[in-house]
Amino acid sequence: MLKTLNLGVIGLGQQGKTHLRNCLHLRRGRLWSVADVSKRNVNLAKRMGVKNVYTNYEDLLKDARLDAVIVTLPNYLHHEAAIKAAEAGKDIFLEKPLARNVEEGEEIVASVRKNGVKLMLGYDMRFNPVLRRIQEEIHCGFFGKVQIVDTTNVGSGPFMSRSESGGPTPVPSWWFDKELVGGGALLDLGSHLINLLSWYFGKVIDVKSYLGYIYNMELEDTAICILHFKDGPLATVKVGWFSKHNTQSIHICGTAENLLVRLSPSSTTATIWKDLKRKAGMFQQDPFYLELEYFVECLQKDEPPNPSGEEGLNDLRIISLAYKNMQKLAL
Amino acid sequence: MGGEQNLSLVSFVRVKNPDNRTLKEAIKESLDKIEFDFDRKVGKLVIKPNMCYYYHPSTGDVTDPLFVSALIDVLRENFPGNHEILIAEADASAMKCRYSFGILGYDKIADEKGIKLVNLSEEKSRTVEVKINGLDFQFHIPEIFSDSNFVVNVPKIKYMSGSRISCALKNMFGCNAHARKSVYHVALHEAIVVMNKLVRTDLVVVDGLFVVGRSTKQLNLVMASKDPVAVDVAASKMLGINPQRVQQIVSASKEGIGKMDFRPVGDFDYFRKAFPKRTFKDNARAKAASIYLRVLKGE
Repeated sequence: MLKTLNLGVIGLGQQGKTHLRNCLHLRRGRLWSVADVSKRNVNLAKRMGVKNVYTNYEDLLKDARLDAVIVTLPNYLHHEAAIKAAEAGKDIFLEKPLARNVEEGEEIVASVRKNGVKLMLGYDMRFNPVLRRIQEEIHCGFFGKVQIVDTTNVGSGPFMSRSESGGPTPVPSWWFDKELVGGGALLDLGSHLINLLSWYFGKVIDVKSYLGYIYNMELEDTAICILHFKDGPLATVKVGWFSKHNTQSIHICGTAENLLVRLSPSSTTATIWKDLKRKAGMFQQDPFYLELEYFVECLQKDEPPNPSGEEGLNDLRIISLAYKNMQKLAL
Repeated sequence: MGGEQNLSLVSFVRVKNPDNRTLKEAIKESLDKIEFDFDRKVGKLVIKPNMCYYYHPSTGDVTDPLFVSALIDVLRENFPGNHEILIAEADASAMKCRYSFGILGYDKIADEKGIKLVNLSEEKSRTVEVKINGLDFQFHIPEIFSDSNFVVNVPKIKYMSGSRISCALKNMFGCNAHARKSVYHVALHEAIVVMNKLVRTDLVVVDGLFVVGRSTKQLNLVMASKDPVAVDVAASKMLGINPQRVQQIVSASKEGIGKMDFRPVGDFDYFRKAFPKRTFKDNARAKAASIYLRVLKGE
């Protein structure tokens, strides 16, 4: 019988709390410990039944009974936390992006290899059942030869409304600092689409991009990227942090078939329904749950999980090229 | 006609192709229509826009810095003498001024016009304790709102859960230096009225360039009045809500903050018809969502 794995969650921000809740329902792994600098968050985890809680993640890593960690820290801490986890011999599930830049990403991947641990990137779109089906259909030839793909992920990005039991909470300050976040909408939202498209179509050979700044920030809030794939189509990646409402879609145009999938906007009713389903424990279709279940399964079977660190690094290289080849939009 | 003389004037002016020049003209016209007298002694001019969150002005949720820029020009050109002009906003539960001033473009205006941006949450303030429905509340009133200073309230017009509408009265609720304003939400209407009693509005100039109704709409409206209650009555009529059913309007009127009867000057009917009102179905859906969220929060 396969061993039940002990998981630790490092960082209990918005995303960390999602993983925390999902960990409580995993079939193959159990939530063993959490670490967060905020005592309030740590107490929340305690109330949810987590016995081992820390305000310093290095203490969490010292626990020999811990098998793997789920790292959901701000971008500027990915490098340090992932390397320390690798050195502590823990397998790692790291929220995207891999790091703030290619250099940091390379060091993470090198450390993971050196220490013989596994690394998986948290790209939830890869576990969306509809998008997985599209991947199968592309490879089965359903679309014929795909010539053009158009992807969109526009919303409020870090400015999405955040709330806790005490009411609305502010956007964490690191999101406003280019140095700490590493990039704007392209890194934040574009990385999802770039990863998805690379999974669908393979190697990118050329990148062009246009970045816009409707808000007075150093970080781009608008980006359009055109990716040229070696064996496939031209694809656009359109992302933005400027809208109150979310729009996520993918439009695939092939010689044999076209398909437009709108992943959002979701109506209030749909959101409430989704929330009710989550509350009722119906996690089976939730990509955030599915990716964790898959990660644990890979560890149990001693198989390398995907999206891997190398894929995350490839995404960073494409984004880096997009920043290098960019033209500023006068918005 | 004699009765009409005692009504508060609320002006309605349409801006064509909004830019600094047309906005200045429209704002000046709106002030002339309410017979606003610039010839008075005032201290500093404190402009209070609505910067509720990091939304772009084209969403209709926040006061457009271009509008404020034109307003500054009008105030400068018409008030006698040199007055210090301040743009003031307080932190909110989810919004921090140190970021919103920059993101929304207010810091650029401050540089251009040589004016000061004031984060009210970082200003000296006095604490006023008020009992509402048996609960004790503390209101933190920045000293900048002293009697000698002239307060220009520059709100938006929008629907809002909790207070039903957000316009002049609700915008002054944001003058409280206390950032976690969600603590007042259990007695929101009353808290709005308290804040309007503690911080008197001298002039309201509504940025109705973009408004939030059923959807966002570019209405290109400038609305002005010396009476925040009258402005809210007009706004609620545009939103299709009976002002008698907006608790803060009725209470503010009873407290003498302003009058519920107003005399429109300008094409009020056009704006009332043009405003993107919510339908009965929209309201039912919004109410259901609001009830669900309250249940979620355990209220």
